[in-house]
Amino acid sequence: MLKIKNIDAVYGKIQILHRTSLHIREGEIVSLIGANGAGKTTLLNVISGLHPLKSGGVLFLGREIQGMQPDRIVGMGLIQVPESDKIFAPMTVLENLELGAYLRRLDRDALKTEIEKVHALFPILRDRGGRAAGTLSGGERQMLALGRALMGKPKLLMLDEPSLGLAPVIVSEMFRIIQSLNKMGTTILLVEQNAREALRVSNRAYVMETGRIILTGAGAELLNNEEVKRAFLGNDYKEKWER
Amino acid sequence: MAMFNPETETLNRRELLDFQNERLGILINHAYANVRYYRNKFDAAGLNPDDIKTLEDLKKIPFTTREDLVSNYPYGMFAVPLRDVVRLQFSLGHYGNPIVIGYTREDLKIWRELVARIMVGVGITEHDIIQVAFNYGLFMGAFRFNQGAELIGAAVVPASVAPADVQIRIMRDFRSTVLVSTPSFALHIIETMRARGKTKELSLKIGLFGAEPWPESARGIIEEGLGIKAYDIYGVTELIEPGVSGECTEKAGLHIFEDHFFPEIIDPITGRSLKEGEEGELVLTSLTTSAYPLIRYRTHDRTALCTKPCACGRTLVRMNRIFKRTDRMISVRGINVFPEMITEVLSGIEGIGPEYSLEIKQKAGMNDQLIIRVSPPPELMQAAEDMATLHGKVQSALRKALGLRVQVDI
Repeated sequence: MLKIKNIDAVYGKIQILHRTSLHIREGEIVSLIGANGAGKTTLLNVISGLHPLKSGGVLFLGREIQGMQPDRIVGMGLIQVPESDKIFAPMTVLENLELGAYLRRLDRDALKTEIEKVHALFPILRDRGGRAAGTLSGGERQMLALGRALMGKPKLLMLDEPSLGLAPVIVSEMFRIIQSLNKMGTTILLVEQNAREALRVSNRAYVMETGRIILTGAGAELLNNEEVKRAFLGNDYKEKWER
Repeated sequence: MAMFNPETETLNRRELLDFQNERLGILINHAYANVRYYRNKFDAAGLNPDDIKTLEDLKKIPFTTREDLVSNYPYGMFAVPLRDVVRLQFSLGHYGNPIVIGYTREDLKIWRELVARIMVGVGITEHDIIQVAFNYGLFMGAFRFNQGAELIGAAVVPASVAPADVQIRIMRDFRSTVLVSTPSFALHIIETMRARGKTKELSLKIGLFGAEPWPESARGIIEEGLGIKAYDIYGVTELIEPGVSGECTEKAGLHIFEDHFFPEIIDPITGRSLKEGEEGELVLTSLTTSAYPLIRYRTHDRTALCTKPCACGRTLVRMNRIFKRTDRMISVRGINVFPEMITEVLSGIEGIGPEYSLEIKQKAGMNDQLIIRVSPPPELMQAAEDMATLHGKVQSALRKALGLRVQVDI
């Protein structure tokens, strides 16, 4: 569904991504894990067309999308949910949701149906419908960001740190929602620092370190990988032969 | 043709190349970050891992050889901490030069699938009873047939080193439908059956044979003698063996599992890459191996590649069957012998020199017996019993070192 080939990307003189390649098949949950500054968000921004790439290619549904305008990419069904707080704070919750469907030019009834679907998933957004988005709690904002993305009818949803800053109980809820979205047919690319939870729900995962993918495998397999534990779960070893 | 993993085995070649490319990037990062040997090698060649962007760029990297593995024994080539390793496998038959290969749980899972792919590709199903007559002690790969078979639900009879008449009785009583062994052992079974005048009482249908070169003429003899279809399988001890490639029912070359191994053919003398169809040495890069990644590993096996579509439906590249080596290794009934090992053994025995001449007796075009001739001690007047003692000493020393009974002439 999505194929990224040998991407290099820079910020000024600093190279952020080094010949990064990955692929996502339809129906998968794939997570991209790595420490802060590994280049995960840059990679998402490159895919979405928000950040230029220096070389390499991005294929979505068999079409090259690098260099395309971000709105056209969204129109194709590739939608990024940015890190929380990237909601329109002064607007109401309902208006935020409606904006998510802006590109689809739906009529009033269709828009209503779509909002109903999102409300069914996140009942809290119905209750908060008339409030300014800026007054929501962290978890509610994250749900709003996700709901707004769903309004765009994503084929592939890219989530950037959906668990960031959330209380543990909300984190579990968030991952449960991600799984159910996937079951309903949305392919998911999940960027996370919360490696443990992300790997648990993912079919496959890629591990990034300083702009390079250093490891890949099944989610469950990587959860037990010493390299992953060392880098993200706080486990260390000094000598290779230690057991 | 039935396939174990049709999606992968029939992937169009452009998709396959993209996949290989993705894995190559990860492999290079993984090996460079975790294996000092590779880091030194890159640095010495003035290579930055970021320079390796495509499979074509791979050619910039120097080869990895058996000697590299030996000099980094035991854990120098490991790319993961030992905690991630669930199996340590050593290869026998390399006298004095041991290597140890580690596998993570994921590595073993891949290996198991590749053996299952070979089995399904030649028509083995969950209804089959697979008799494995490889030496489980000498050939560690024998266990992989158990796991591959279990994955597809077939039954395994690990008959191992049981003598031919016992093997035949098991085959008859258990109604084994598949024989897995060296081709020379299959021949031995046929001879044993003929000697007893019983050739028509088995249920065998399919044979998987490997671990030594066997010509097409031997295939004919085995297929006729056992009433089976006989297929060639291939592996590399330092990667996985069996499981790198295997024939399909078309018998038109062995399909290399390119989602895990990237093959190249090189001129063994100059190291230059050769084109498709040209015969040379097979060089393999492991694309998915975690514990013991090998980049451009020289196998010393001579073959040629063909990417034309195969009638079986697999899109995976095919390699020609292997009959020749680019080094001096000799395979005798599935046991690998390096002439250097013989020299080493002989020079350790008092009374004879390290010089010898080697004769190989063949049966059905396959190596059957080694005859090693050594010169007698210079003192011409040797007592007969001293000669007999010396002869026994040489014979048992060689047997111990080579894992093979050889004929010694003094």
